[in-house]
Amino acid sequence: MGDKLHVMIIDDEPIVGKRLKRLLEKEDFVVETFTRGSLAIEELSNKHFDIIITDLMMGIVDGIQILEFAKTSYPDVRVIIITGFGKKETSEEAFRKGAFDFIIKPFRVEELREVVHRAAKELKAG
Amino acid sequence: MQLKIWHKMIIGISIPALIALFGSLWTYEYINDVKDRHGYVQIADDLRENVLEVRRNEKNYLHYKDTDYFNYLIASINALNRSIKIIPPATIDEIGKNDFLLLNETATNYTALTERLHDNFRQEINSIEQVREQGKKLENYATTGKLSAGLSLNFILNLRRLEKNYMLFRDRDSFSKLDRALFQLKDLIPSCYECIPYVEAVRSLFASYEKSDSVIRELQIAGDNLEETTVRIAQRERQHIAWFFTKTQRFMFMALILLCAIGPLLVYKTASYIVAPIIRLTEITKKIAEGDSSLRAPLKEHDETYTLAVSFNTMLDNLQLTHHSLEKSLELLHEQHMEAEKRASLGFLVSGVAHELNNPLNNISLTAETMKEDLNELSTEELKEHIQDIVTQSERAKHIIEELLDFVGTRKSAVMEKLDIINALAESINLVANQLKVSHIQLKKDIHKIPVFIKGNQNKLEEIFVNIMVNAIHAMKESGELTIYAKPDVNEKFIIIEISDTGCGIPEKELKNIFEPFYTTKQHGAGTGLGLAVARSLVEKHFGDISVRSEVGKGTTFTIRFPLYEEENQGPVAVGRG
Ligand SMILES: Nc1ncnc2c1ncn2[C@@H]1O[C@H](COP(=O)(O)OP(=O)(O)OP(=O)(O)O)[C@@H](O)[C@H]1O
Ligand SMILES: [Mg+2]
Repeated sequence: MGDKLHVMIIDDEPIVGKRLKRLLEKEDFVVETFTRGSLAIEELSNKHFDIIITDLMMGIVDGIQILEFAKTSYPDVRVIIITGFGKKETSEEAFRKGAFDFIIKPFRVEELREVVHRAAKELKAG
Repeated sequence: MQLKIWHKMIIGISIPALIALFGSLWTYEYINDVKDRHGYVQIADDLRENVLEVRRNEKNYLHYKDTDYFNYLIASINALNRSIKIIPPATIDEIGKNDFLLLNETATNYTALTERLHDNFRQEINSIEQVREQGKKLENYATTGKLSAGLSLNFILNLRRLEKNYMLFRDRDSFSKLDRALFQLKDLIPSCYECIPYVEAVRSLFASYEKSDSVIRELQIAGDNLEETTVRIAQRERQHIAWFFTKTQRFMFMALILLCAIGPLLVYKTASYIVAPIIRLTEITKKIAEGDSSLRAPLKEHDETYTLAVSFNTMLDNLQLTHHSLEKSLELLHEQHMEAEKRASLGFLVSGVAHELNNPLNNISLTAETMKEDLNELSTEELKEHIQDIVTQSERAKHIIEELLDFVGTRKSAVMEKLDIINALAESINLVANQLKVSHIQLKKDIHKIPVFIKGNQNKLEEIFVNIMVNAIHAMKESGELTIYAKPDVNEKFIIIEISDTGCGIPEKELKNIFEPFYTTKQHGAGTGLGLAVARSLVEKHFGDISVRSEVGKGTTFTIRFPLYEEENQGPVAVGRG
């Protein structure tokens, strides 16, 4: 099916990628996971993704950098930020830079699912 | 005594001035004296002039023997006497009483002699008249041949010639010729009665001549004496003046040397007397400026510098007071700052814990939810994997909590006891030996051979060393060299332990963060960032200190110091860990 939405998941906790990949594939998304920001950016430069779910606090390349890179390459891309609580400033910064929404760790599956579907709906409508 | 700088200066200047003043006064007195002496010389010269006038008249009188010249002589003698009389007695005292006494005496004597001489001369004239008269008579007798003895006219004429010669020359030769002739006459004609008056007249002339001559000699001697005395007086006064001049000259020279020598010395002394307290004050100011604020200016001189020193000291006191209160405020500020820093690091700790716990928690809940939703669809393999993930993440969370509790120190207190630190270090090395082998890391040891005792807890010490050594192993990844040094310092007060690696090193700006809790550069899950924070906290509980030096690309060295065990603090002591 050619109209399947492509999702990229970046989190240095490998379990997050594993669980979300399975979860979203069931919902008919094409999912790729990364634990390193640098590798994700590399992938982004030769492949188009519709939705990016990224952790904000990572080692060398963090969520904000991925957001910036993705938004300049594909203005249409929907970037969902996962973050630990209490990082209000970075969240606001992310919003200014075009983040689609936030999910705060630890998050419920339902929460994530709702945000991803909303993004998918917008994409399909747009 | 309140000696002001002003007074010091006056003293300093007035001493040389006084020397000069006294010198001048003395010289003035001398010059006055010399003036007097000059007057005396004048007097002596005048006297001499008088005496010379007397001598001149004396010569004339002796030559002409007449009354006029006698009067001249007497007049000049009187002039001399007057000159002597008008000299004031004080001057006479100054010039020399003896000389004047002699002068007076001689002058009086001279007058008397002159008068005697004058009488003699008159007698002489009589005698000469007598001789001439008797001579003529005798001549007449001879020419008329009335001479009884029949003396030849020639003999008589010869006699008269000798008589004339004698009267004319009055010398010894003519005298002896005449005398001989007279004796001849007496011998030849003892009975020449006509001859007797003539012979007697000549004999009386001889006598009066002789008398005059002796008086003249005396007179001349007296005249000479007069002359000598006046000359002596004048000469002495001249000598006096010359002597005064030499003396004055010498004195002036001395005074000059004295002024040259003492003047600068005095000026120097005065100057240093004035300047010394100022210099002292300056030195103290310098020292205070260098930081010794407890110094005070010495209150020595009682002059303006005293007042200056007093004000200076008051100023310093105030300054120190201000300094103290400033220090207090700073201390307070520092305390507040520390408090703020503590709060900040507590915040860091809390957020770190939150973040650290968030991840395993999120992993657990995510896995659990997935399981709940898809329980029927999951294969046994997949279920096992999910459950394993939950167990691992729970372990991870537990580990974080443990380390955190370790760090915060709420767990049971560790017993501190006398133990061998060398042994604790060796045990720690054993604990990492396997990891070293796996990572192909060489171990180099420079460790004290005999036990070194400190007060501590074996487990905690091992934790410190293991944490640091594990970090070193991580930094070197594959292969490298771990060096461990442990020896007491030279003063035997501390044990120094150095753990060095040849790993990646730590950037300068990160050095200050590495001991902070939750600071880590490792991947999530790989490190919590508590290892060094725990290590530092434990080192401090052992009254030691820990420091680090590092060079990126070359390696890192951690240095730990613990105080050695002291016998007086014996027995195990329970210390709350934290
Ligand atoms: N020997 C070393 N060489 C290079 N970097 C080091 C060394 N020791 C510590 N570090 C740096 O300091 C950081 C903090 O170290 P620390 O031991 O506190 O935490 P961690 O090792 O990251 O995690 P944990 O020890 O809690 O598992 C490390 O992440 C690392 O970046
Ligand atoms: Mg560590």
